[in-house]
Amino acid sequence: MSQRVSKEELRQRAAAWLEAGKMVAGPVRVKAGTVLYAPLPKAESLLLEGWVRPANSIKEFVFPRHEVLYSYRVDAAGITLQEPEPAPREQVIVGAHPCDAAALPLLDKLFNWDYPDDFYNRRRAATAVVTLACAAHDEECFCTSVGLGPAAERGSDVMLSDAGDGAYEVRCLTEKGAALWGAGVAPAPAEGGMGAAGPEPRFNPAEVAAFVREHFEDPFWRERALPCLGCGACAYTCPACHCFDIVDEGNARGGVRARNWDACQFPLFTAHASGHNPRPAQGARQRQRIYHKFLMFPGKFGEVLCTGCGNCARNCPAGLGVLPVVSEICHAESV
Amino acid sequence: MSAPNGFEPKIVAYVCNWCTYLGADLAGTARLEYPANVRIIRLPCTGRIDTNLVVKALEIGADAVLVSGCHPGDCHYSAGNYHARRRWMLFRDLLEVVGFDTRRLHFSWISAAEGRKFQQVISEITEQTRALGPYRPYESPALPPAEEGVAKPPAVEEGNFEESQRELRAAARRLLEEGKVKVVVGYGARGPVFVTKLDDTGRLEWNASCLANLTVYLRRPEVRALGAAAVVVKGCDERALVMLEKESQVRREELQVIGLACAGLGAPKCEVCDSHRPRFADITIGGAAAALGGSTAAPARYAELERFLEKPREQRLAYWTAEFDRCLKCYACRQVCPMCYCDRCLAEKNRPQAIDASPHRKGNFAWHLARAIHLAGRCVGCDECTRACPAGIDLRLLNLALARAAETHFGYRAGMDPAAEPVVGAYSFQDQEDFIR
Repeated sequence: MSQRVSKEELRQRAAAWLEAGKMVAGPVRVKAGTVLYAPLPKAESLLLEGWVRPANSIKEFVFPRHEVLYSYRVDAAGITLQEPEPAPREQVIVGAHPCDAAALPLLDKLFNWDYPDDFYNRRRAATAVVTLACAAHDEECFCTSVGLGPAAERGSDVMLSDAGDGAYEVRCLTEKGAALWGAGVAPAPAEGGMGAAGPEPRFNPAEVAAFVREHFEDPFWRERALPCLGCGACAYTCPACHCFDIVDEGNARGGVRARNWDACQFPLFTAHASGHNPRPAQGARQRQRIYHKFLMFPGKFGEVLCTGCGNCARNCPAGLGVLPVVSEICHAESV
Repeated sequence: MSAPNGFEPKIVAYVCNWCTYLGADLAGTARLEYPANVRIIRLPCTGRIDTNLVVKALEIGADAVLVSGCHPGDCHYSAGNYHARRRWMLFRDLLEVVGFDTRRLHFSWISAAEGRKFQQVISEITEQTRALGPYRPYESPALPPAEEGVAKPPAVEEGNFEESQRELRAAARRLLEEGKVKVVVGYGARGPVFVTKLDDTGRLEWNASCLANLTVYLRRPEVRALGAAAVVVKGCDERALVMLEKESQVRREELQVIGLACAGLGAPKCEVCDSHRPRFADITIGGAAAALGGSTAAPARYAELERFLEKPREQRLAYWTAEFDRCLKCYACRQVCPMCYCDRCLAEKNRPQAIDASPHRKGNFAWHLARAIHLAGRCVGCDECTRACPAGIDLRLLNLALARAAETHFGYRAGMDPAAEPVVGAYSFQDQEDFIR
């Protein structure tokens, strides 16, 4: 007893959510050549086809690139500390990719590991994810290499998959999704499931983990990192990268403490005040990115910190990214 | 005297220690009355006033800014005010494109004897600003998404890539064999490759995806550690090499340059390119110069910018607000830029915090204005920043604004003439003055 929804009906639902005062985000063509996940100004902006993947990820809606933690004011009455906005708006992310949604459970673990991060948890609780199973993939996609696929359901509240006639089949996967859609939770999916065929598996994450464990000091890293220019395009467009920095902005009369995204490819990321830098060269920084995703995070949380979206490679101005580097590790054919 | 709505403008005046500050002092001792709306900040010389200070004042609540120093010829340090004048010219053109209301930015020459002029200038500026109303930066609405169709696929003429690629590989092989270089920095299948072994010269490629400007790698310590280098450049990239040498960042004599004549790779810059053929390469590969089209006249180079400038100022500001709102501060624009080579960028200094580190609207405006103005008269227009931006921000337009300013005011194009005097760091007595009170 599956439900269906046409593209038009989906937009109507998005319009209704907007009407209800929710923040609704989805793929938007912000300009010719650039598709990004962004808040929808109107339901018609929701882009449902004609792209493989937005250049950013949905993490920004649960872990914003800039988030005020508190603000302060100093006046005659003394120092006043202020909490940030009381509660985040209810939000719906429509048309997320399975590789975006699958990163949310990873972030859940990270932000609740040694300390429950209220800022993250509040936004996460206010967020429902309506995922659109992938109908297409490109040469940078590798979800099937990290245990996911074009119809993977992890992290999604509602799953839409192409029913082949311009409509989507709807399956509510969680109570949150069922409440959003106004339908019952669908039974567990049949193995194999729907959706287009995914990309051919390109590597085995266990091999990558073994390599980084055994080749911490290896010229491979220096050589492979030569093209890397040390920007944060890979980390900032990655659905799973989550490093941040805390900054104070303001003056003697008032200001804020905020957290901003940070990226391990910046030389400053590990620079000490003394001038010493434990990761002094780009090779060490590239190694760190692979090491964290395939050995450190799995060691701690039992899962690879990569959903195979390929954004790192698509956005890298120098042709690097997880797949190009890891393919070489696994002696697979260079892509 | 207060306006009917009770608005009292705040005006920040950056003044030099030797002329305008003494002019203000004289106005005081001569009991000349002027509005109390001005906050004077004394600096050694106008040549020392970074444009970022202007941005900063407006960020933290100034409604207008005055920058004032010694009359031409009077500078205590001989030429500080001439240098400043040039920077202001460039900065004004940049602000024009961004859609900033330049009626809030004032410049003047006021000498130590001109107490009365100080009084007049401050009174005028205060009245004007009062009429303009409060400055509310970063509150203007952002333009909604354009939702234009898909980008048109680049039209690349089928050049003789294959033949040039063969020659390129042979040239690289020769250089390595003869021991002239230890590494060849060139294009590979996915991006830059660093060929150190003869057997790897086959990895070098030349095709329509070879957009990167490889000269950015010449200063990187990891690449320098490999030893003497050869670098593959197109005509447009070579302009960066000219600049890097001019700014003492590379030693040309230690470098082998393999130039690729290029008929265009389909990027916007290619449509108005007049640097199809590298001019100073040690080895030049590919088509006869005549076949590659000649020069493109200046108007065509800036046509895209002129079209943008036809929009009303508020629309330009709304456009950039939307663009900068997407900025993640991943700094890909900076990292791919051959001319952004500071060991530590201004954006990463926090004593004092010149530019807010946060990727919010204020921090993004400050960053992009600083990036652009630091490249004034230095940017060679390779468009790598625009190509690298994951958010699709059209930094090309800002660069074009400054390239046009350099060309129209000073007849200068970065990286074209190795002997030309640089725009910033030089000055002329004839530089434009009409915007200075």
